Amino acid sequence: MSRRVRRSLALVTAACLAFAGAACSSQGGAQEEADTNSGGGTNSGAGPQLKMAMVTHAPAGDTFFDIIRKGADAAAAANNVEYTYSNDGDPTRQAVLIENAVNAKPDALLVSVPAPEAVKGAVQKAVAAGIPVVGFNAGRETFKDWGAMMYFGQDETIAGRAAGERLKGEGAGKVLCVIQAQGQSQLEARCNGVREGFGGQVENINVTGTDLTSVRSTLESKLRQDPAITHVMTLGAPFALTAAQAKQTAGSKATIVTFDTNAELVGKIESGEIAWAVDQQPYLQGYMSVTAAAFYLRNGNTLGGGQEVLTGPSFIDKSNIANVSKYAKAGTR
Amino acid sequence: MSLVQLTGVGKNYGNITALSGIDLEVGESEVTCVLGDNGAGKSTLIKIIAGLHQHSSGTYEVNGREVHFNSPREALDEGIATVYQDLAVVPLMPVWRNFFLGQEKRKGLGMDSAFMRKTAKQELLDMGIDLRDVEQPIGTLSGGERQCVAISRAVYFGAKVLILDEPTAALGVKQSGVVLRYILQARERGLGVIFITHNPHHAFPVGDRFLLLKRGRSLGYYRKDEISRDELTALMAGGAELEELSHELDRGGGGVAAAAAKMLEQESKELGITPGSTP
Amino acid sequence: MTATLTAPPARGDERLARQSAFSRLAGRPEIGALVGAVVIFILFFVVAPPFREAPSIATVLYQSSLYGIPAVGVALLMIGGEFDLSAGVAVISSSLVASMTAYQLSVNVWVGVLVSLVVALAIGLLNGYLLVRTKLPSFLVTLATFFMLTGLNLALTKLISGGVATKDISDIDGFASAQAIFAQSFDVGGVSLRITLLWWIVFVAIATWVLLKTHLGNWIFAVGGADASARAVGVPVKKVKIGLFMTVSFLCWFTGMHILFSFNTVQSGQGPGNEFLYIIAAVVGGCLLTGGYGSAVGAAIGAFIFGMTEQGIVLAGWEADWFKFFLGAMLLGATLLNVYVRRRAETRK
Repeated sequence: MSRRVRRSLALVTAACLAFAGAACSSQGGAQEEADTNSGGGTNSGAGPQLKMAMVTHAPAGDTFFDIIRKGADAAAAANNVEYTYSNDGDPTRQAVLIENAVNAKPDALLVSVPAPEAVKGAVQKAVAAGIPVVGFNAGRETFKDWGAMMYFGQDETIAGRAAGERLKGEGAGKVLCVIQAQGQSQLEARCNGVREGFGGQVENINVTGTDLTSVRSTLESKLRQDPAITHVMTLGAPFALTAAQAKQTAGSKATIVTFDTNAELVGKIESGEIAWAVDQQPYLQGYMSVTAAAFYLRNGNTLGGGQEVLTGPSFIDKSNIANVSKYAKAGTR
Repeated sequence: MSLVQLTGVGKNYGNITALSGIDLEVGESEVTCVLGDNGAGKSTLIKIIAGLHQHSSGTYEVNGREVHFNSPREALDEGIATVYQDLAVVPLMPVWRNFFLGQEKRKGLGMDSAFMRKTAKQELLDMGIDLRDVEQPIGTLSGGERQCVAISRAVYFGAKVLILDEPTAALGVKQSGVVLRYILQARERGLGVIFITHNPHHAFPVGDRFLLLKRGRSLGYYRKDEISRDELTALMAGGAELEELSHELDRGGGGVAAAAAKMLEQESKELGITPGSTP
Repeated sequence: MTATLTAPPARGDERLARQSAFSRLAGRPEIGALVGAVVIFILFFVVAPPFREAPSIATVLYQSSLYGIPAVGVALLMIGGEFDLSAGVAVISSSLVASMTAYQLSVNVWVGVLVSLVVALAIGLLNGYLLVRTKLPSFLVTLATFFMLTGLNLALTKLISGGVATKDISDIDGFASAQAIFAQSFDVGGVSLRITLLWWIVFVAIATWVLLKTHLGNWIFAVGGADASARAVGVPVKKVKIGLFMTVSFLCWFTGMHILFSFNTVQSGQGPGNEFLYIIAAVVGGCLLTGGYGSAVGAAIGAFIFGMTEQGIVLAGWEADWFKFFLGAMLLGATLLNVYVRRRAETRK
């Protein structure tokens, strides 16, 4: 047992004493957590430490990007890399963040680019300065234009299409595609992909992603308004969980399916409340971006042969959930 | 015995002298008027009497006992209430709520609204103001009426001395007349009133004593039988304007202007104001 | 001029009687919003068949209550002449503190709930104290706390729980009882209602009583209407303002507890943006942006208008891409109607 854990146990004991024992929970909580120290790989980084900069379009407090960062963290530890992280969902502000990162002269730049028009100029400054650029998660279609040498991610349209085809196979009637941030191209692309793959009726609905109670009420109303909906497709794990609640309240029979996962969602797939999730393996996106950049800098390797490296889509459902579940609890799936 | 008596009172802010050597008194059923132009020291004087500031020199007595007030609350406890120029009313609130604001009559956890409505109406009626509805926002009343609500509020809450800060300054002739009547009414009810104004025509009809201020000093302190309306007017005008006017005219040069300036100077001499005698 | 020195007292009562019950009602701050709410209700009742069903109304009321509960505090604060831009994020701060305290220390969730209450009140105290101390506009002070809380929510959550969302606390002791208080549903005639609706009514009732029937209410109106005057007549202006900020914090805390106990986990990036909905609810409900005028009932109606419009558009099945546009248009319409009705009411008097 590490010293930190021992110290925090002492703290808990003190806290329990302070609450006269009665307040301490008999179950659950951090003190029950197993010591799951999922250390990184053993790939030791030869040579001096590399400095990289990662700039993403993640909104603040996004669970999905959190997994990407965990992958990047693990890769950084394994490859003797230190990296800075910054993020802003607004494309023009993301461009400024990229320029700032370039000005600090990192050894490599890792970016997700959902809006190439706004960000392209900033990325090309890095290219002009001789900084290798690796793209991930968003920007697959354009990564060569803005000068990235590698790309790790999934094609949102392909992923959407795969999901759509699966829905078709399951005999879905009408699909509701829930967009949590109106006007984001990769979200629209997913819904369009679903529409293409499914071939049937797909309706989009915009919800306020920063207010889950409002998301829940809106979905309740929508399910009541349109009883024809057989499947609800959400584009992020928290929204799938919220949709499951809304379904219950609205007394709907719709099946909930989603893009992306988190620890809670995995539990819901186990229990069957959510049917399946399209997984683009964000952990890999983060891990591979850092690792590939390190390999390029230390050994001149590139991955993908000038094409994108697809990390998805794969499906998580009841058949493979047992395998995924333990990793999800550790925050790596 | 005087309700309020100041003797040789002065006030310094650091090395700036705002007020020096002021005598003033007001007794029961008396109105003492304080006259002066802007910057004469009127507001400093009010703040000392009201307890907002402390005097630096001289003595301040209430009912013959020397006092040093640390807050307006202490002055209020001695029955000295101030009605400021802005009246301390909240325009959007109903009359009765304004009347009792800060001193609400409590009842259990809440307050006794019925009592307060009735009392406000009655008190205003006693002052001779018949309001249609004490529920109306006080902002809908005329300037004179608002002044009266403020005065009757002070009287209801036990004021023995009322300090009225320029109550007629922003009012027309008719409204001013209404306010002056209320001042007399307050005097008849036995209150002492300190009436601050720059208008001798408002001061003379209601005042028993007149203190004239200029640049922090007393220009004269008279009982009513010692001074006539014209003298008071001339003093006010003389102190502030005649002198200045004559200088202005002089500077302008030219025969006619110089003659006019001389005349004004002559006039102010007759009144006993020597040009340049002020510090 | 209505004052005469010679008027006999009897005449006063006579004139008073001429004021009809209608014009009394028309003088209330919330009347415009009420008319707006009725119009919007009728509109959706006509165009959206699902809107006519009780469960849909239950959802509308529920969503309105979530805007409405903090809006009660925000309305009181606005009547007191101030804003709180940190309210939306403070809701999530409260849930994060409660959740992480209970989870990380493995203590009964009620401990987390109470710790969170203390923290929430401290945030209100800080807002209020900074305001009266620095005399800066509340817009600036609370904008600063808004940013600080947004940052703290993310940074501390990440630092403490290792992720950007808190862990599920539903298997920790005390969860069931806390859920019963903050987030339970119950059936009324076959319709499932969420408990926030009841709490909303309770909070609006208390706030209305305080505003109209207690000296505190008098002080709140006075502080917002003319703070210099209030101070001059002995109203403890600073204490009132600090108290109002703490009231907002309390109601945000309550909403935060509801979110925690209905989702079991909390996403740390949630919340920003909602502060404007609370302010909108108060303003649509007839509170003056400049202070000194308004009502808690009005803010409740404002929240109801917002919740009803938001859900009504969905229930009517209108095109999703136009959602925000319709929302804005309806709000504008409701507000204009509000202003129009109030003006009519004022001239009638």
